[in-house]
Amino acid sequence: MSVNPTAAIIGRDEIRDLYDAYYGVLDDVDLHAWPDFFTEDCLYRVIPRENYEAGYTLCTMQAESRGMLKDRVTGLTRTQMYAPRYYRRFPTAPRVTAQDAASVSVRHNLLVVQTLVDKQSDIILCAVCHDRIVRDGDRLRFVERIVVFDSEMIPNSLVYPA
Amino acid sequence: MNIPVRPPEGDNRRAWPADVDAAVPYWVYTDPAIYAEELQKIWYGPHWLYVGLECELTEVGDWKTTTLGEKPCVMVRSGEDEISVVENRCAHKGVKFCQTRTGHSKELICPYHQWSYALNGDLQGVPFRRGVKRQGGMPSDFDPKDHSLNKLRVEVVNGVVWATFSDETPPFREYLGEKFWKHYTRVYDGRKLEVLGYNRQHIPANWKQMQENIKDPYHAGLLHVFFATFGLFRADQKSAVDIDDEGRHGILISRKGEQQASEAMSDIRNFQSDLVLEDPRVMDVVQEFPGEETVGMITIFPSVILQQQVNSLTTRQIVPKGVGGFDFHWTHWCYADDTPEMRLRRTRQANLFGPAGFVSADDGEVLEMTQQGAAGSPDEHFILQMGGREIAPTDHQVTETAVRGMYRYWRKVMGL
Repeated sequence: MSVNPTAAIIGRDEIRDLYDAYYGVLDDVDLHAWPDFFTEDCLYRVIPRENYEAGYTLCTMQAESRGMLKDRVTGLTRTQMYAPRYYRRFPTAPRVTAQDAASVSVRHNLLVVQTLVDKQSDIILCAVCHDRIVRDGDRLRFVERIVVFDSEMIPNSLVYPA
Repeated sequence: MNIPVRPPEGDNRRAWPADVDAAVPYWVYTDPAIYAEELQKIWYGPHWLYVGLECELTEVGDWKTTTLGEKPCVMVRSGEDEISVVENRCAHKGVKFCQTRTGHSKELICPYHQWSYALNGDLQGVPFRRGVKRQGGMPSDFDPKDHSLNKLRVEVVNGVVWATFSDETPPFREYLGEKFWKHYTRVYDGRKLEVLGYNRQHIPANWKQMQENIKDPYHAGLLHVFFATFGLFRADQKSAVDIDDEGRHGILISRKGEQQASEAMSDIRNFQSDLVLEDPRVMDVVQEFPGEETVGMITIFPSVILQQQVNSLTTRQIVPKGVGGFDFHWTHWCYADDTPEMRLRRTRQANLFGPAGFVSADDGEVLEMTQQGAAGSPDEHFILQMGGREIAPTDHQVTETAVRGMYRYWRKVMGL
């Protein structure tokens, strides 16, 4: 990851655009475009709140690199079996919680709603996202994204990423 | 051993299929009356139920809530060397008094009328028991000794806490049998354990389906393309299925192979010989147990699966929630003396398991689909003939023998 100090200041509009694009890609199930929102050595976690608060690092989904995110997509598209479903994500507005020369920390809430065939829509995740964003080359990328979910009991499978 | 089948009678006119051991009617998944009977005869009957890990309670006064059968319970460290399991239900009005998953207190107090219990469940305090200004109070024949919390029998076995509602349950080691004691102590060998974290999911399928799933090695290399592709579990590998003398417990044993096509692979439609991981650290496996086996999946009837799949170690607790669903609580653990590298390896491999696991998500999905298929045709039956009709250990995994064993035991307990 290269950080250009002169371009380090990351604006609010840019952050907003990043999230619009990120959630757009996921809602459209354009999974192969998803890993590119992350830096090469990123950390991605979808973790139960009870683990997060206890200091456990055991996650429901975890990737320690963009490569592992790509593997998650490969697993999903080429090996896993699951009933068809729609996921739609409802993020709240991003709130900048910290900013330094290299990165900006952003926090927002996230609801992920799942719709299965013949079923009413259901909340599959109710979460808060702790993200750290950097300028990586010519675009913004997540260097860290920790999705901490309150949901105590996942309705069966968590198929797509958050 | 041939168990006669109870003839259909009374309101329950449902018949068991003629092919007694190799066919099971779908009403075992869908009939609420059968489920109610299972709770009494199985969950509250002479069986040990998984409660938790001893390491979850370090200090005297630490407690953890859980559910055994459908009954809320609390596991408490009631003494330096004592763990108690009591029902989480106040003797007075039935309040489920502990509401958080874990806690620490000197005694257990119900918020409604502040009845208080010692950590082992003995009733200690009843406010205004003797009345106020000679008015009211409990009758003179009220004896706190008769109103403790319901106490379960407990055994702590190499770091795992087991409890039973029944006085007739044999000691845990006898309940496992010597063969399964050996399987159990291969991983639970007395070393101290430590929790790595939890996952929890609700699977809308009858609880027995989860037991069957881990007694059925036939599906593992077919449904789980990830397993088959990366050689973690596949029909052409040296493997074995063991069952206890009663048929209720099972273990699937296998050893990791390579990612290569073989003759047996032609039957696996989805085998992906060209699949490559970009970051293969998730498959960075080390051999840590004696012998060549890399997988030991144990089902302890009725409540838990003890998973050792390469370096990923979990307990998967089954909590039945009505006839058509169960909660599935995963506790990932490591040994207390594990290196940081080993802990990291175990948490990485956890990507294969749980509600978003490359492998386990397949199971949750297919169990739900099975329940959907069964719901409309309770009087039809499923076929259990893979590997023949015998109920005996095998040295291969092309068999449903352990599922047959479980249903033979189930019919015995249920009197069907």
